[in-house]
Amino acid sequence: MIGATALAASVRDGSRRAADVVQQALERIAATDAKVNAFTSVLAERALKRAKIIDLHPRRERMRLAGVPFAVKNLFDIAALPTLAGSKIERDAAPAARDAVLVRRLEAEGAVLVGALNMDEYAYGFSTENTHYGATRNPHDPTRISGGSSGGSAAAVAAGQVPIALGSDTNGSIRVPASLCGTFGLKPTFGRLPRTGSYPFVASLDHLGPFARYVADLTLCYDLMQGPERHDPACAQRDIEAVSPLLDQGVGALRVAVLGGWFREMALPEALAAVDAVAQGLGTTRLIELPEVARARAAAFLITCGEGGALHLDDLKKRANDFDPMTRDRFLANALVPAAWVVQAQRTRHWFARRVARVFETVDVLIAPATPCVAPAIGTEWLEINGQRLPARASMGLLTQPISCIGLPVVTVPLWGMNPHAPQLPIGVQLIAAPWREDHCLRVAAALEAMGLCSAPVAKGF
Amino acid sequence: MDHSAYIDAAAATLGLSLSQEQRKGVALYFGLAASMAALLQGLPLGPTDESGTVFVPVEPEVDG
Repeated sequence: MIGATALAASVRDGSRRAADVVQQALERIAATDAKVNAFTSVLAERALKRAKIIDLHPRRERMRLAGVPFAVKNLFDIAALPTLAGSKIERDAAPAARDAVLVRRLEAEGAVLVGALNMDEYAYGFSTENTHYGATRNPHDPTRISGGSSGGSAAAVAAGQVPIALGSDTNGSIRVPASLCGTFGLKPTFGRLPRTGSYPFVASLDHLGPFARYVADLTLCYDLMQGPERHDPACAQRDIEAVSPLLDQGVGALRVAVLGGWFREMALPEALAAVDAVAQGLGTTRLIELPEVARARAAAFLITCGEGGALHLDDLKKRANDFDPMTRDRFLANALVPAAWVVQAQRTRHWFARRVARVFETVDVLIAPATPCVAPAIGTEWLEINGQRLPARASMGLLTQPISCIGLPVVTVPLWGMNPHAPQLPIGVQLIAAPWREDHCLRVAAALEAMGLCSAPVAKGF
Repeated sequence: MDHSAYIDAAAATLGLSLSQEQRKGVALYFGLAASMAALLQGLPLGPTDESGTVFVPVEPEVDG
């Protein structure tokens, strides 16, 4: 299926009309969404109106995403709709006054928003088994989870409903569903992309980013969303550092190593096989261990508790039973977490970031699994990892949480056939770089895609 | 460790009324957070090991 970059080129040169492209996307969503339940709103009227504007637009021939349909996790503001963030409670919220900044930036380049996507309630989960809106199913096996919390975003891309989708990642919520649904996903450096106009989960840890089926599309989308924005206090006021022109540089002299320790101990054989395949493809045998990874994960866990619990305290007091049963008791417990634990977590986070910065003095890209295993069946409660019986849903983030804790940029790349018992299922590998070096992980992702080691095909039957 | 007394006191202080059904889940998840906190306490940090949060002062918006 054609990607966003090629689609935009055809709309720019007039060989396709944006209105036809969007109409086809809407028809595809209508025909397939019952199988995956990725969309919570489809914006047919708005999208067709916008597409017609693109077709007549005086700048159409210069719009880098001319006519490209895209969709966003339903925590992004969409003008005139309440921002649900996967909840029932926010149905009562006032409609958003305008679109989120990232939606506006993509539409300014000709992209067309076609809908909002399912997620775990308030982004607190790794499975998108949302009680209010139903589970989003994995397009590669509808009996399995899509991952979360941006499950609708990954599933919509994997099902070929849209070539690009946006999600958020606090503890792994882009990387986990990208891994389980077999798409490329980018969690940029913390503070790179502005979050203005999105519903927060944990302000200290929230990142926004794209999903796509091609690295060039992922990179273009990322490039077009960059730039300072003063209303998000965490957004670094940095100039745009475009990566698309650098993608064809390949791996070049980049120094690559595999992460050992925690990142191998907490992974099942298919995840290790995927990492080893990537390492072999990149010609590296170097192994690096980061210090105190379990504590870094614990720090992210407690910061999430403290900030997430406090954010929802008012609703927890007034209407706790309107929360999803999948999140309610966790949010209630989180509201009680003492400040000393959260402050210690923030100090630990900074300690870990300084230690990892030293590691990046001698390496450019680190390789680790994105999830411990391929997608579990919907409803799975427990997994056995490293000889321990662990809660399945929380365990999906074991390998992503220590990395987002310190805001490093990560591209997740999908591999196939790594689990001999489920060869049709993908699993993702994280390519992790130093802060602000998205170019490094995107270049390596492009090289792996060019080698044929990683790809993100539309799921069979879609 | 039994956190029941803390859970009851903190919930009452915050004005959170926990049903019996909720309280069971809350005890489970609070216990999990406590185990994470215990793990963090084992890392020796000095007084100059600062927080990962940094406040950014807000300048007034000036047109032009």
